[in-house]
Amino acid sequence: MADERLTISQRRMSRRKFMIMGINAAGAGTGLLIAAPIVGSILSPLFYQRKQPWVLVADIQHVPVGVPTAYVVMLDQGGDAWQVPPVPRTVYVVKLNLDNQVQVITLSNVCTHMQCDVHWDINLNVFFCPCHGGEYSMDGTNIAGPPPKPLFRYEHKFVGTTLYVRNVLTEGK
Amino acid sequence: MAQDLERSALARKLTKPFSGLMATTYRWVDERLGVTDLAHQLLYEAVPRRGAWAYSLGSATLIIIVLQIVSGMFLLWTYVPSTTEAWESLNFIEHHDEFAAIVRGMHLWGAYVLFIVIGLHMVRTFVSGSYKKPRELNWIIGVVLFLLVLGLGITGSMLPWDQAAYWTATVVTHVISYFPLFGTQIEEILRGGPQMGPDTLTRFFAIHIWLLPALLVPMIGLHLILLRRHGEHGSWVNYEGVEEETEAERARRMAEAEAPYPAIPSDPGYAVPVDLDEFFPSQVFKDALVSFALVLLIFVMAVVVGAPLERAANPAALNYVPTPEWFFLPLDQLLVQFPQAWMIPVGVFVVPGIGTTLLMMVPFLDRTPGREPWRRPEVMVPGLFAILFLLFEAMLAVGRLFNL
Repeated sequence: MADERLTISQRRMSRRKFMIMGINAAGAGTGLLIAAPIVGSILSPLFYQRKQPWVLVADIQHVPVGVPTAYVVMLDQGGDAWQVPPVPRTVYVVKLNLDNQVQVITLSNVCTHMQCDVHWDINLNVFFCPCHGGEYSMDGTNIAGPPPKPLFRYEHKFVGTTLYVRNVLTEGK
Repeated sequence: MAQDLERSALARKLTKPFSGLMATTYRWVDERLGVTDLAHQLLYEAVPRRGAWAYSLGSATLIIIVLQIVSGMFLLWTYVPSTTEAWESLNFIEHHDEFAAIVRGMHLWGAYVLFIVIGLHMVRTFVSGSYKKPRELNWIIGVVLFLLVLGLGITGSMLPWDQAAYWTATVVTHVISYFPLFGTQIEEILRGGPQMGPDTLTRFFAIHIWLLPALLVPMIGLHLILLRRHGEHGSWVNYEGVEEETEAERARRMAEAEAPYPAIPSDPGYAVPVDLDEFFPSQVFKDALVSFALVLLIFVMAVVVGAPLERAANPAALNYVPTPEWFFLPLDQLLVQFPQAWMIPVGVFVVPGIGTTLLMMVPFLDRTPGREPWRRPEVMVPGLFAILFLLFEAMLAVGRLFNL
């Protein structure tokens, strides 16, 4: 008799445990169903493919040697999410004179420290960042202040003497 | 019995302006919703008598947060969270909608005043040792609330998408990229891509108007529930002589304590303030005056100064000098002081992280029963040093950014 009662109470306990397990499983399932697409949408920018077209800058013959020249170029043309209309960015075209060989580089004016806007300071002969006082030489090398890296460079190509860039950045040297 | 009498007296007071049908209606609703009971629970509790003006900082914080939520709701009547239209919609307000411009001004100045009032509220709690047993967790919740409000401040400053907003958003998201291992990925997730773009603004808009408030509001609820559970601690002036009293005196005070006292567990003698007052109307009166004065200040600043709107965001800018909001000046100065490579994460994460952790740990670092600030030099001196350090850093940043 006593044993039978024990069995019933044990059965009740296991029924209770079963329902608690069911609640936990259903709760976890509900949470997972809601969370999975949300987490996916949060991470999706990491996998989004961006198309970066070539954009005309200028005829390179107009750029003086040894004077960084700023061009405003419409670089974001739908490459970043639903960006319309295109967003202007500044490209510094620099003709460096290396051993009588003219080399052209296209520098981003985005500081590598906190991404403020740098400009070529004609008095100091450096690219200067007003935010935290970073300085870069003419070829983009970080020479003073907090920047950890040289200025980034936009990919560029020539068609004849016409310079094109696109919104793909490479590390400077 | 006495409580019933008191309650019916309150019911009479609350229904006084009504007569006839109004009074009948009030009774009908009250019998079903218990409005009188609720009002009684909210208004009638014991609070410490002395130092009451200083305790009004907490309620002022609450009132200004309500002001921020309400003014924010009505800014959404015009504001468009889009990189092409955000600035246009606010520019329209500034030039064609004087009242909406005041609402926008109150939202900005409300935020500025909020930071000052929260700061004073924290200093008050710190100096009076109110975070001690049993209120340690409420101190930690308070620090979390402070961090949420900082987050609301910085995300809000990005929304106008003028030059100031754009470059603030650029720097803040890039700061995160220095986080070890996942930094760049977090930056890309927050920006919706490697560079600033249309989805950067929608994200920070969503964080500002939904994510952070949805965390803030329940945390405020918890803060208040715990405040009511423990009762207001007040400051040391309400506990003079409690460490010298006899066991019998202490037991009698505990027994006679009005709700919500005694606060238990507690250091001996500190469960009940020596001198009590009524929350309503004594404390509420002071709270109401302080909150009114602060909201008046916010209103006047909104009308006289308003909220600035710089030129529309220009990612191709060459000569724009971004200056952070004043409450982030100390952090901005750390960016200059920790230059190059591995030092940057130290200035950006390690130093502020250690500071925040120490702030949260205050109740566990200061475990002696004494409440008087001069008996607690081991936390008062570092606390004073921390405040002076923040002011010093802010001064350096102002000198650097404005060429003083």
